[in-house]
Amino acid sequence: MKIRSGQINPGIPRRQQESVRRLPQPAGLLIFAVAVILVATAASALNRPPANPQAPESKPIPNVKCVIGLENVKPNTRGTLSALPNGLEFATGKTKATISTASILDIFTGQESRQDVSGLVGTAAKSAIPYGGGRFVSLFSHQVEVLTVEYADSNGGFHGAIFVLGQGKATAVKDQLVANGAKANPHVQAPQQEQKP
Amino acid sequence: MKTLTRIAFRSIFFVTGGCAALLITASLMAQSAPSGKTGSAPQQATKLTASAIQLERSGITTDSDLVIPEDTRISTYENLIIQLNKTKKFQHVYRSGDHNADTAPDLVIMRLIPETFKPGSQKLREVTTVMGSTSIKVKVQFSSRDGKILLEKEVKGTVRFYGENLRATSDLAKKAAGVVKQTF
Repeated sequence: MKIRSGQINPGIPRRQQESVRRLPQPAGLLIFAVAVILVATAASALNRPPANPQAPESKPIPNVKCVIGLENVKPNTRGTLSALPNGLEFATGKTKATISTASILDIFTGQESRQDVSGLVGTAAKSAIPYGGGRFVSLFSHQVEVLTVEYADSNGGFHGAIFVLGQGKATAVKDQLVANGAKANPHVQAPQQEQKP
Repeated sequence: MKTLTRIAFRSIFFVTGGCAALLITASLMAQSAPSGKTGSAPQQATKLTASAIQLERSGITTDSDLVIPEDTRISTYENLIIQLNKTKKFQHVYRSGDHNADTAPDLVIMRLIPETFKPGSQKLREVTTVMGSTSIKVKVQFSSRDGKILLEKEVKGTVRFYGENLRATSDLAKKAAGVVKQTF
């Protein structure tokens, strides 16, 4: 019985046999090196931040109240606020108002307490509750954040827009706008006491 | 007994009547007195004329020693712009920094200088009725382009019973617009 596989023809010289045996080693090394380079490239590409880190688009925030200050938007209108790479956009059902990032002069955030039952209907309902029950209802309130954006129009005219958002959202919008290149100066928090000069 | 009762009723009537007369006189005197100090600026009885007005942000939004929340300052400024347009006393109402105001022929510059500010609390107002009012008192100043002060008057905006704190700024703007209507 002859076993042929794995055998080297004894007719081939010894030196040639060695070179045949060594041949797979450089090829394997080459393939390994290429693979390492490819994996490293892919990993660096995956870990790399986006091409333009200053222009991320945040999630639109619904049910934001624009208290005052936007052109073509009535005071106390509710809508969706978005911090876009080119600025701040407030959209209602019909109208859209945008404050461009370049025109923003300063951004302020603050906290306020708002009544759970408020407005004309809420106030009337509270007044109608007998035995001072309306006052008890007035004890229930929630915290909101106020975002104030100061900006200039094309003529250089000074404007200010005030938005009321849920807790923590105004700070996120401010951070987003600052990341996009909007100006914001450090501010002093207003105390809750009566002020006299 | 009857006589005594009649005398008692008559004396009570006179005392009540006297008190009412005193109150009416006092309230009339208070109304006729000037509403606030005028400072060094002249109080003009005659009306001023101007075709354009510019609301300066300095004072109400900057350069003030008072620490007023920025939303209150901005709300006052924006509400006043709305109210000034509503008066229809001027052809143009310019915002602070508007370059178009530089060439306006007879321009009056309006400034609001904050004097006192009480933040108040909506919850306290609605629970107690008598406490927690928000108020802001400013000096309304009208001046010419060259800096000459034409008129100064104090105005106070408050929210006493129901409503959010920013309603005080709306009240202030309406009262300031009232001053504009009286002056121009």
